[in-house]
Amino acid sequence: MQESIRLDGVSLWRRTQEEFSYDLKRTIFSFLEGKYRHPAKKIVLDNINLTIGCGEKIGIIGANGSGKSTMLKLISGILQPTSGTVRVKGKIAPLIELGAGFDPELAVMDNIVLYGVMLGYSQEEMRNRAKLILEFAELESYALVPVKGLSSGMTARLGFAIATDIKPDILILDEVLSVGDVSFKNKCSQRMEEFWQDHVTVLLVSHSMEMIRQNCHTTIWLEQGQIRMVGKTKDVVSEYLQCVTHQEENTPSVTTQV
Amino acid sequence: MITSILTNQRNKELSWYRELLVVLIRRNLKRRYRGSFLGIYWSLLNPLAMTSLYAAIFGATFAEYYDNSTLNYILAAFTGLVVINFFSASTAQALSSVVENGGMVNKIRLPLFIFPLSSIGANVFQLLMGAFPLLVVVTLIFSRSLLNVVALLFPFTGLILVCTGVGMLMSALYVFFRDLSYFYELLTFVLWISSPVFYPAEIVPEAVTRFLILNPILPIIESIRQISLSGNFPDFGLIIHSLLSGLIVLTIGTVAFSSWRSQFMDLL
Repeated sequence: MQESIRLDGVSLWRRTQEEFSYDLKRTIFSFLEGKYRHPAKKIVLDNINLTIGCGEKIGIIGANGSGKSTMLKLISGILQPTSGTVRVKGKIAPLIELGAGFDPELAVMDNIVLYGVMLGYSQEEMRNRAKLILEFAELESYALVPVKGLSSGMTARLGFAIATDIKPDILILDEVLSVGDVSFKNKCSQRMEEFWQDHVTVLLVSHSMEMIRQNCHTTIWLEQGQIRMVGKTKDVVSEYLQCVTHQEENTPSVTTQV
Repeated sequence: MITSILTNQRNKELSWYRELLVVLIRRNLKRRYRGSFLGIYWSLLNPLAMTSLYAAIFGATFAEYYDNSTLNYILAAFTGLVVINFFSASTAQALSSVVENGGMVNKIRLPLFIFPLSSIGANVFQLLMGAFPLLVVVTLIFSRSLLNVVALLFPFTGLILVCTGVGMLMSALYVFFRDLSYFYELLTFVLWISSPVFYPAEIVPEAVTRFLILNPILPIIESIRQISLSGNFPDFGLIIHSLLSGLIVLTIGTVAFSSWRSQFMDLL
């Protein structure tokens, strides 16, 4: 099987939030007083090794802050690893947040071109595809309306329609499919279904175990920046759920002790 | 074969940058003018109003330095104002550009340097539509030579390079220091006062003149005035000086931006 994504010994350190010094005045003063310290860093992903083949459907689960979204950002090229290498083959459609590249002041039509170019398509391509995109998003009569005039559901629809209009090689989904009304949800899942049938590699982050079970063959369980378990979705999810309920049973007794 | 794949990839990346730059410049302009084309001419209002103000207050006093002609003073003040206005507007917009788009670059993979560049680019477009044609007309009237019009492009290139360099540097610093805009306002004011925009360079005491060499805008203003107002053949020395000043500032800005870039994402 051909490789699609490969992470070799990937670690990522980031600055901790408390250390944000956004202030020139304060930095200069602390420098003069000799109190300047280098910003503290925290490890977010710790030595991740992972190979994903073409066409695999991978689920990613784990608690909040375990590094799921960070890993997706590394794979999409938004973040660079501190050490290790990330290799990705093919075109990525990052559905990390629908409509993240939209400019609310601009018309829907302009935003289609803007967002499309940001995702790596040419302006001409986007202009040619605009009609189909509007059709799919059911926003034909809104082409000249500024995006701030759309409802949040409509914006999400538009974002989804643009990002998935051209079939990508790798699809990255971060809890985004829970938007839109029922009829649009069906339309989304229909398009997803097509991708699922084809040889599109899919990475899906979700807290809904139901969704992971339905859609993914393999699942990765992240815990505190490390891979706790990789394997068949069935096994990983049941292990994860067991662990979570186990923790829940334990935590109350701990708090009462304190 | 591998090298051909690599160059192919690099070409793809370059054409993506170009496309991005175009759509982002268009976005900046549209956001500023809400689609009204005439809006661009508002950018001319500021230098024209300032010029008439200067002419009214200083025109009579300073005319002796300009061959006793108030018109010459007005034109000199106008060219200076066009340059300094372009500098302060474009770099101030570039300064906040990376931080403003911070939310977006956390969701989509985008080259960060494209944001200061697109701020500068939007202002270049505005300049080409507004003040630049006026300067071309003035140059034609004074020099009666197309060569001078062509030569005018060089100091303006120098200006764009200076602004790009300063814009890159400031947008990078602003990621770390969010109170930078106050300091930067002060800095542009110093630069503005230290450029002979509304006063003749001759009145500056010699002890101070030595420091004015540090002002990267100075050779650019001088070169533009020499080409468009003196009526003489373009002075190559001034042209080279302004281009050099642009290249130096651009290098500083680019080096600073690219060496700090890896830390940006933690702070955006």
